[in-house]
Amino acid sequence: MNDPSTILESQDVAAPTSGTIIDIDDLSFSYDLGKTNTLRNISLDIPAGKVTAFIGPSGCGKSTLIRCLNRMNDLVDTAKVTSGKISIMGQDIHAPDVDAIELRKHVGMVFQKYNPFPKSIYENVAYGLRVQGIKKKSILDQAVEESLQKSALWSEVKDRLNTSALGLSGGQQQRLCIARTIAVKPQIVLMDEPCSALDPIATARIEELIAELQQDFTIVIVTHNMQQATRVSDRTAFFYLGELVEYDDTQAIFGNPSKKQTEDYVSGRFG
Amino acid sequence: MSGHILKNYDDELRFLKNNVLEMGGEVIEALEKSVKGLLQGDREICAEVVDEDEVIDSHEKKIDELGMSILLRFNPVASDLRQVLSSINICRSLERIGDHAVNIAKRSRKILKGALCEEVRLVDPLFIKAHEIVSASLTAYSDIDERKAHQVIKMDGLVDELHRSLSKNLSSTIAEHGGPNTESLLHILFISRSLERIGDLAVNIAEDIVFITSAEDIRHT
Repeated sequence: MNDPSTILESQDVAAPTSGTIIDIDDLSFSYDLGKTNTLRNISLDIPAGKVTAFIGPSGCGKSTLIRCLNRMNDLVDTAKVTSGKISIMGQDIHAPDVDAIELRKHVGMVFQKYNPFPKSIYENVAYGLRVQGIKKKSILDQAVEESLQKSALWSEVKDRLNTSALGLSGGQQQRLCIARTIAVKPQIVLMDEPCSALDPIATARIEELIAELQQDFTIVIVTHNMQQATRVSDRTAFFYLGELVEYDDTQAIFGNPSKKQTEDYVSGRFG
Repeated sequence: MSGHILKNYDDELRFLKNNVLEMGGEVIEALEKSVKGLLQGDREICAEVVDEDEVIDSHEKKIDELGMSILLRFNPVASDLRQVLSSINICRSLERIGDHAVNIAKRSRKILKGALCEEVRLVDPLFIKAHEIVSASLTAYSDIDERKAHQVIKMDGLVDELHRSLSKNLSSTIAEHGGPNTESLLHILFISRSLERIGDLAVNIAEDIVFITSAEDIRHT
């Protein structure tokens, strides 16, 4: 078994396929050094090898929480975890010896607005590996092809790998960002509204891709599109005003939620 | 429960429910007419039931369309989804009750063609109970009331008992006396069977109401 204290330092950790991979325990979080908590006492276990969706109205804290999972909020000076902790594969991610950059190799992220680098398609995918110091062309070639194939983009771009990524369509650019994320072989992929800027066909491709990626990665997705949550996720967490209201199998959340607040939200009785 | 943000979503759900209740009214009327025709010896009323079945059938199609339109436009979930699915199921049960009313009307016409058959009176208590159970199921749907739905399920025991007793009575009459009334007695036996099936369909409606309120599928339990 891997030693929890070093698990986030080793790049070749195999992704667990069962059990809990992310354990959020009584987490409270503030953007203003603790004056007000944006997230309050959140506890939930995210299962490995599954897709977990975060839903809730704007301002409920779902994006804040997903950004806590790879410490993206560290980039905000006044942001602070005020209580509780997040453990990934048993490791407290806020422990002093955990490096946020190292953490993000294991917990990748895809953003709402596709953001390829102004480089070639090949260089976008190879970027993370180059940062890690990998220079050997054969290794990079293999990783680029594998990542583009897993992102269902290979057949569309294999003949123009050296052209600019900015020449791709929006949907292709988002799949390229997914390829760039998975190229460094994270265990977890976070997706913050990955389809909100895409048309229905590009959205369907990403949703199909999520189902494929689930075989190799644990996925956490924030979405405003509840039909998307029902289609792609196994588990769904509903947040409201910084609190976790209900967390259950997606079928239960949308079929027979146990809390009235959840039922009112998913059935469109309040925004 | 509070209304939806989209007011026309509430309007459509209400419209769907009202249509199911309206169809229920038509079905009850058909049932009443079919038995009234038999008991009062009025073949014209029986003919009306057969002719008016088209209205019930077209109502079923309209409810299907409404349900599909709600599914397409509003993507209902949770209790809204259960209400739409159950309403479509309920209209299916109502259509079948309408078909049984037509069967009763057709058999009644055949009975009334022949010699006077005293045994037709025996149908009345079973008809009263069948009528009662269908009305109770529609009240439970109108109120979306689980307790009333469970009462409907309990009522079916008496309908079954009355059917069994009438079948036994008619079978022994046929075996003992037979004669020219045999054909009419067989028709009455089938009418009894239709009324018993109507009780079962009212139970199906009640089960759909339990599904709406509790998300529990109690069919075949």
